Amino acid sequence: MRRFLALLGASLRQNFGLALLKYKVIKQRKDLWLVLLFALGLAGVLPVVVLYFKVLGLVFSILQSQGQATALLTLAILAGQFLILVFGLFYVLSAFYFSRDLEFLVSLPARPFEVIAAKFGVILVNEYLTVVLVVVPAFVVYGVMAAKPLSYWPLAALVFLLLPVIPLALSGLLVMAMMRLVNVSRKKDFFLLAGSLVLVTGVLFLQLGLAGNRSPEELLKFFTAADGLARLVGEKFPPCIWASRLLASGFSAPGPGYLALYVGVSIAVLLLLLLAAEKLFYRGLIGLAEMAVRRKKLSAAALAGRFANRRRAWRAILLREWKLMNRTPIFLLNGIFSVILVPAMFFFMVRSGAGSSSIAFLKILGSGNRTVEILFAAAFFVACGCLNGTASSTFSREGRNFWISKVIPVAPRRQVMGKFLHSYLVAVLGVLSGSLVAKLAMGLGWKSVLPAALLALVAGAFLTAVNMAVDLARPLLTWKSPQRAIKQNLNVLLAMALDVGFVYLFYRLFLLLRRAGLNGASLVSAMLAAAALAAAISLFLLAHIAAGRYAKIEA
Amino acid sequence: MIELRNVCKSYNKGAVRAVDDLTLAVPPGEIFGFLGPNGAGKTTTIKMIVGILAPDTGTIAIEGRDNRREPLACKAVTAYVPDSPEIYERLTGLEYLNFIADVYGVPARERAERAKRWLEVFELASAAADPIQTYSHGMRQKIVLSGALIVEPRVFVLDEPMTGLDPRSAHSLKQAMRAHCDRGGTLFFSTHVMEVAEKFCDRIAIIHRGRLSACGTLDELRRQAGESQSLEKIFLEMTGS
Repeated sequence: MRRFLALLGASLRQNFGLALLKYKVIKQRKDLWLVLLFALGLAGVLPVVVLYFKVLGLVFSILQSQGQATALLTLAILAGQFLILVFGLFYVLSAFYFSRDLEFLVSLPARPFEVIAAKFGVILVNEYLTVVLVVVPAFVVYGVMAAKPLSYWPLAALVFLLLPVIPLALSGLLVMAMMRLVNVSRKKDFFLLAGSLVLVTGVLFLQLGLAGNRSPEELLKFFTAADGLARLVGEKFPPCIWASRLLASGFSAPGPGYLALYVGVSIAVLLLLLLAAEKLFYRGLIGLAEMAVRRKKLSAAALAGRFANRRRAWRAILLREWKLMNRTPIFLLNGIFSVILVPAMFFFMVRSGAGSSSIAFLKILGSGNRTVEILFAAAFFVACGCLNGTASSTFSREGRNFWISKVIPVAPRRQVMGKFLHSYLVAVLGVLSGSLVAKLAMGLGWKSVLPAALLALVAGAFLTAVNMAVDLARPLLTWKSPQRAIKQNLNVLLAMALDVGFVYLFYRLFLLLRRAGLNGASLVSAMLAAAALAAAISLFLLAHIAAGRYAKIEA
Repeated sequence: MIELRNVCKSYNKGAVRAVDDLTLAVPPGEIFGFLGPNGAGKTTTIKMIVGILAPDTGTIAIEGRDNRREPLACKAVTAYVPDSPEIYERLTGLEYLNFIADVYGVPARERAERAKRWLEVFELASAAADPIQTYSHGMRQKIVLSGALIVEPRVFVLDEPMTGLDPRSAHSLKQAMRAHCDRGGTLFFSTHVMEVAEKFCDRIAIIHRGRLSACGTLDELRRQAGESQSLEKIFLEMTGS
């Protein structure tokens, strides 16, 4: 037990960079502003949390009037477990098999199950942080508004603490079995990608399955029958039902039965994972380390052919960015895959009739006002192209290799432009795939799609520059796992928040221009001019600050 | 030609003085060895020379140009190899060499000739088309060295270049560096291997706690410390606390 706790403690400190943060803040007194920024960020999130509580209160009242109050818990638990499943599989795969500390951990006098248990503990803490804001407010609103007794609160805490255990342990079992059975040695990137795609497709079909195959009458029946909604969403994953019924009933029947079921199954699956770890973990890991590389010498002619092209510096940078991004699975998933997959998922949702938000979106687009149609479509295209981590992790992705960018004889301004072109290319792909979805799935005419795409492309240039500036201000270069550079990078979240803020400012500008009497082509042209001006200014500023920032970043 | 004048660099807001008033010059044609215990300020000095870190005070000139006022001109004539070969793992060896040749503007024909030569010298030809992530530590070190050599710069700055190299590759590197300096180029390199410094360097500097303890030819260092001492003994004497 002491060995497990030591492993867990060290893994947690490594995961959250606690030692480095302590060194920087206390010893170097360097990143004090970061602590302040974090506190400000938390303060900034507070109004949103308050709003979320209010919305949940409203939802509770509506559900209660239909006799469906428990559905609030089921929905929150299901949403939390969905998030855990989506993020968890990546965490499990990279933590169990692809993290760089494995070679060190394997050499320690610790049993395989202890190593896996420590890694599981770290993923668990990460997952708590991922779902806390989604799940806990729902538990609080339900507990307060349903006037639950005191015994509800420890039970709610228990449900929250056990929430990630079943989906994560199942992911772990699946991953370990596959790593043992499939010879992944040289194909680990492919394996990671294929696994992720299977997961995303699975989630998509699960979502479609919730509503897609049911008639409106059937859906209505679910909404009107007592507890029907909870059953509808929970039938895909029974632990959601067990947990919500346990909270609804508490210690009176049938609560204890659900308590035993929920806790018992969680413990059983966790034990199964540890047992499997003892049998399978090291064998899969050793298989991965046995990398038989077949080297092939190139002929002199082939070698000369590979060196035949001399590229300009900005093209070399662009090509480097493209290759590094698309050959690192986690970067690829957050770049090109996301700008194609997200619109594709939207396409299938709209075609299947699932997803109330898409229906609402269709209504807005079908309102007959072409200007509104164009502007909303442009916002959708911008979301497809820019709400990903490509631009906002462009410097962070270089990690410990950033020294190369500092020593090469290419002006930072030109390096930044090469990087901009790469990020913008990904944004353009997103705008194009979004445009196709709007045309093919929503039936939007070309007369709306084309100006909307043009507006999105110009606004996309602006947001790409803004996102890059966020990362340039404080790139995360000390990562050991690429996941930290993009998925656990604060810059990506901050940039997304800024993007949403700027889209909102554009919306305010639209209202202002309409009040000023502009409409139709003149209004769209004015918006386009504003976006072009913003893009030009942001690009100029980005290029201008590049030299100063490159000099200050200590690689 | 590398010139450092009164260079200072501190960390933790002045609490740790990594380099303290360092002044030295490495003329063209000279192999200059930079020695010092761990944490003495060797890597910090090297990083300042190549522009990765900025000195707090003092100036650094490469081929007569200030590396902060004319950074691109200085970088264009300098190739650097770090102590740890951290490079783009997802590129192949060939792609890495092509990238370096592109950003340094090496003409296509010359880069092909040089790449062929160095890949063969370092026995990397059969691995060049594979991703760098499949390379061993030594192979990574060799591909970084090949990237530096493909540029054929006037100034080489190498931080512990022999670490991880097999004896044959280390020998080839030493020969190449000697030839480079004989053609009038400059080599500034750090090492922990006293034997290499003793046999290979024209001049040696010893840095201790950020300050220059000694600088000169091996004979000059011997005279300073007493007759017929080995470099190891001189080093231990000068860096003893």
